[in-house]
Amino acid sequence: MAAKRILVVDDELGITRGIMMNLEGAGEYEVRTENKARDTLTAARDFRPDLILLDVMMPEMDGGDVASELRDDPVLKDIPIVFLTAAISIEETGGHEKVSGPMVYLAKPVVTSELTKCIERHLRQQSPS
Amino acid sequence: MPTDDPDGAASHSADQPQSRWNDMMAFLGSWSKAWITAASFQLVVVVGIIDVITGYEVSVSLFYLLPVSLSTWFAGRAAGASVAAFSTVVWLAADLVRRPHYHHPLTPLWNALIMGLWFAVVVTLLDILKWTHANLEATVLQRTGKLRNEIEGRCRVEDQLTQTNADLRVIRQQLQESLDDLRKSHAELQHTQLQLIEAAKMESIGRMAAGIAHEVKNPLMTLSLGADYLFERGSTRHDEVELLKDMKDAVQRASGIINLLMDYSKPRPLQLVNEDVNSIIESSLELMRHQLIKHNVSVVRKLQVSLPPLLLDQRRMQHVFLNLFTNAVQAMSGGGTLTVRSRAEADATSEAPGGGTAGGAGRVFVEVEDTGPGVPQEHIASLFEPFFTTKGPGEETGLGLSIVQRLVTIHGGSIAVGNCPEGGARFVLTFNYRTKG
Ligand SMILES: Nc1ncnc2c1ncn2[C@@H]1O[C@H](COP(=O)(O)OP(=O)(O)OP(=O)(O)O)[C@@H](O)[C@H]1O
Ligand SMILES: [Mg+2]
Repeated sequence: MAAKRILVVDDELGITRGIMMNLEGAGEYEVRTENKARDTLTAARDFRPDLILLDVMMPEMDGGDVASELRDDPVLKDIPIVFLTAAISIEETGGHEKVSGPMVYLAKPVVTSELTKCIERHLRQQSPS
Repeated sequence: MPTDDPDGAASHSADQPQSRWNDMMAFLGSWSKAWITAASFQLVVVVGIIDVITGYEVSVSLFYLLPVSLSTWFAGRAAGASVAAFSTVVWLAADLVRRPHYHHPLTPLWNALIMGLWFAVVVTLLDILKWTHANLEATVLQRTGKLRNEIEGRCRVEDQLTQTNADLRVIRQQLQESLDDLRKSHAELQHTQLQLIEAAKMESIGRMAAGIAHEVKNPLMTLSLGADYLFERGSTRHDEVELLKDMKDAVQRASGIINLLMDYSKPRPLQLVNEDVNSIIESSLELMRHQLIKHNVSVVRKLQVSLPPLLLDQRRMQHVFLNLFTNAVQAMSGGGTLTVRSRAEADATSEAPGGGTAGGAGRVFVEVEDTGPGVPQEHIASLFEPFFTTKGPGEETGLGLSIVQRLVTIHGGSIAVGNCPEGGARFVLTFNYRTKG
């Protein structure tokens, strides 16, 4: 089974690098990182990820706008998106993801094990369709 | 003030003999004047007879003065004058009977004339005396009347004063009531003001929290991911593994503070489940295990088994205990003992008839004690205030206990702080329970 491709979009270099090293270290993922919100669409078209981790608060363009651009794209619209946000507390999410409508949120700072669990859950939901 | 007898003690004692004398005079005066006059005439006759028998003229002659004086005093001037005239005649008669051998036949007449004159003088003097006495009596009566009036006036004034006093007392009572009302409203106002201040504080904390959350959580996430990575594929050296665990703990604590600040300003609804508070205590102690060992703190559990279940939000209660335990550990810098006690107390009235499986109500107490220095008396009042801390700047936020109190309060419980007799701090949490049969 081929490694799942994950696109990580966050303006913090440390975060994208950290996620990439942790996920790739597990050997099951191929990760591409993007630090400029504006370039997300290009990167996604090029990389064709199975899931996108998207920071909510970024300069220039916030995660919500990026997500709606992705949803408007015929090719990319079905890729699951998990938002990373500093605006909700861990207490609020109960330490896990928070699902609000079609949106899935993870509260920063998220530990790698939670991140992996969340990715797995949404990849699996994706695969039958 | 007690109302005294109008005839004050001072005047009374002086009046005593005088008034007895007056009574006697009045008693004699009540005999009719005629009777006294008649008695006086008879007395004159008796004295005359004695005069004749004794023949001792000068001494016995003085006795004529008795009827003359009596009649003058009690029956008036006219009666006195007639008794005096009669006395003169009797004296003359007695003289003639006794001494028929005067040198000159007119000598007895002359003697009688002198005697009569003496009697007249006595009558006149007595009359004047009586008149003066009557005047004096009138004056005294008048004075007494005046005094009585004055005393009555005083009594009246005193009555009025008493009345006024009573009125004043009523007014005072009313004033006291208004004052109490005022005090109460003042206390209520103060309470409202405190609440407003509290709300304002919370709002500003919330705004600040939202502002710094983003700035702090991103770097925290970088740290956390780095630690995760190194932990997963780092060395197997024990101390390095511990170091990485500490790093991860530190990140969680730091992000916990931000979360606290965010939650503090907008508390979310509780997720209440029937919980055994002992199990929350145990899980919190488990979470603290590393810290407790590191700081040389031993734990004593005195948990009552099979406590009645409480409706609690497990995560939040864990938070409460973690805060209390952390404070205790921080208070015991050189190590010590942390004692956690739990016990239930049923309300005396809640026992349903029949007992057995019937439900009951009561309270569950949880006590957290340490062997640190305790809380100074002057800090006790402000301990639960947000931002109150005695720990170094930058180290702690001072929010811990204020959040603890809020969390306990929204569970319907209460928290109090005091010191153990042995010196450490003691926090007592109280929760109400009500179980169905
Ligand atoms: N067990 C204890 N023994 C002695 N003093 C205590 C204890 N617990 C709390 N205090 C005092 O109460 C103060 C306030 O405690 P609180 O938990 O609210 O804030 P903090 O511990 O200073 O900071 P943090 O927000 O990190 O908890 C402390 O600074 C300390 O002086
Ligand atoms: Mg504290």
